[in-house]
Amino acid sequence: MIEARSISKFFSLVNEKGLAEGLTAVLNVSLTIPDGRIVSLLGPSGCGKSTFLEILAGLQAPTDGEIRIDGRLVLEPLPSTRKEMEEYKRRYRFISPLANGVFTDRPKHDIAMIFQDYAVFPWMTALQNVVFVLRLRSAGKRRSDRPSRAEMEEKAGFYLSKVGLAGAENKYPAQLSGGMRQRLALARALSVEPKIILMDEPFAAVDALQRERLQDDLLYLWEEAKGNASPIIIVMVSHDVPEAVYLSDEVVIFSPGPGGTVRNRIPVDVPRPRARTDPEIVAIQERIFAILQYDINQESMYTI
Amino acid sequence: MTDDDYETRGIRRLLRELGGFSKNALGNFFSLEFLALLLPLLLLWEFLPRAGLIPESLLPPLSTVAATFWDMLLRRSLVLHILYSLGRFFIAFGLAVALAVPIGMLMGWNQKVRAFILPLWQLLAPIPPPAWVPMTIIIFGIGSSMHIFLMSIGIFYPVLFNTYQGIKDTDPRYLASARVFGASEFTLLRKVYFWHAFGSIIMSLKTGVAMGLVMLVIGEAYGGRMGIGFLLGQAKDYFLIPEMMVCMMVTGFIGWFLIEILKYVELKLAIWKVGR
Repeated sequence: MIEARSISKFFSLVNEKGLAEGLTAVLNVSLTIPDGRIVSLLGPSGCGKSTFLEILAGLQAPTDGEIRIDGRLVLEPLPSTRKEMEEYKRRYRFISPLANGVFTDRPKHDIAMIFQDYAVFPWMTALQNVVFVLRLRSAGKRRSDRPSRAEMEEKAGFYLSKVGLAGAENKYPAQLSGGMRQRLALARALSVEPKIILMDEPFAAVDALQRERLQDDLLYLWEEAKGNASPIIIVMVSHDVPEAVYLSDEVVIFSPGPGGTVRNRIPVDVPRPRARTDPEIVAIQERIFAILQYDINQESMYTI
Repeated sequence: MTDDDYETRGIRRLLRELGGFSKNALGNFFSLEFLALLLPLLLLWEFLPRAGLIPESLLPPLSTVAATFWDMLLRRSLVLHILYSLGRFFIAFGLAVALAVPIGMLMGWNQKVRAFILPLWQLLAPIPPPAWVPMTIIIFGIGSSMHIFLMSIGIFYPVLFNTYQGIKDTDPRYLASARVFGASEFTLLRKVYFWHAFGSIIMSLKTGVAMGLVMLVIGEAYGGRMGIGFLLGQAKDYFLIPEMMVCMMVTGFIGWFLIEILKYVELKLAIWKVGR
């Protein structure tokens, strides 16, 4: 279970006059996601949903509020007083608060993340990419529990073939098409068998046909994990309303930025497997479109 | 890439690599375009002095230089001098790289480390390496340690700064994606930062080779009994222009050869870039 309690994130930037300026990226977002759910974060560009996802992943510290995954704190919040700030700075003098450790690989939480532009390592082949994360994940285990190299390669091959990349194991990402690279990122995330997968606009860069196929693949793998009694939470940032509704159990709509906050939470109580043209699905889609349209028309209301 | 690429071993593998290397290295020279430029240049070099258009005492023709080269090879133990220089060069190169790459990586990786030591290099680096010569001679005396130190100074800074810049510019997305999966900082340095900066590190090694050779010639010309720079200095003292030209060309050849080796290493290790 993911619990986000009143998460806010402020940035300071320098404006064109050279003065420091505050920017609110996320404002007071609270969200609880039970195990085995698919949740989409939807909203216009710049509303802070990607920032919120990175805070969930522990890649940015929230200015205020805290995230707990199964009751464990993801990152400590940034200090609020000057004194605390000095203390914080002293503690993280040599190593960033995001670091997992200096020499030992140890994931803080059982999370996998898929980035918008894949972020698969171009210097590793498809197989090496997957084996790399498998090795990172097994590093936390006791020596006797760690899988051997051959086992990891076998597992990596298994997941690569699961997303339809069999035969491309020894290719470098530069030799793969955009959709294949996306599937490689998916295989990399799935291979560690995480409890939580975070996705930042995962299908934005693939063509429409490819996208539908990937969505169905994802749902299939998600259902399969559920069947194996190891439910996966998927949190997905999306621009695409039909995609969000089709995939999710719940769509969280962010208000337009700056200072995105949760505007609506729309449950999608349609049993799976769903059809993309299911009237219920379409009705929800239209409702969301209406909400977003309203926000665009009333944009001046949101800017101070 | 086929499977037998991986299976070839031993002498056959070595021969294949050598073939690949010479093809890559010499390919440029045997292109029609370049030969169209090179051959006339060589002919001019041979015939302008012979025809008396340029005084032969200032620019000896190609054949004289070639004869001198052969003569030095046989009677002045040129090979030994080259080996001496190369030996020192490799020690200096190894030392400088072994220091500069890790320090550069640490500086690029961590702001605090950067704050501590970067200003030091920024102060020291602008001192032109030849300016170190007098101090070095006083401290180390004339000998191999002085030459090695001077060359290391020349190689150190370009490698350090380029490595640092390459590491610092690492795409944060790659770091984030490795961190989510639990990579420690050391793993990040080994598996992400290093490979992301690989291109600039190799580039810096090439600059390092060039600077090292500069310091090789300067250092050896200042003192010593062996080495290609020593021969050059001697040729200068006795005003032997063909000898000077042989030394120049040998030094140039060494530089070219080392850089070709680095290029080949890059080609072999950075296969992922080839497909782009």
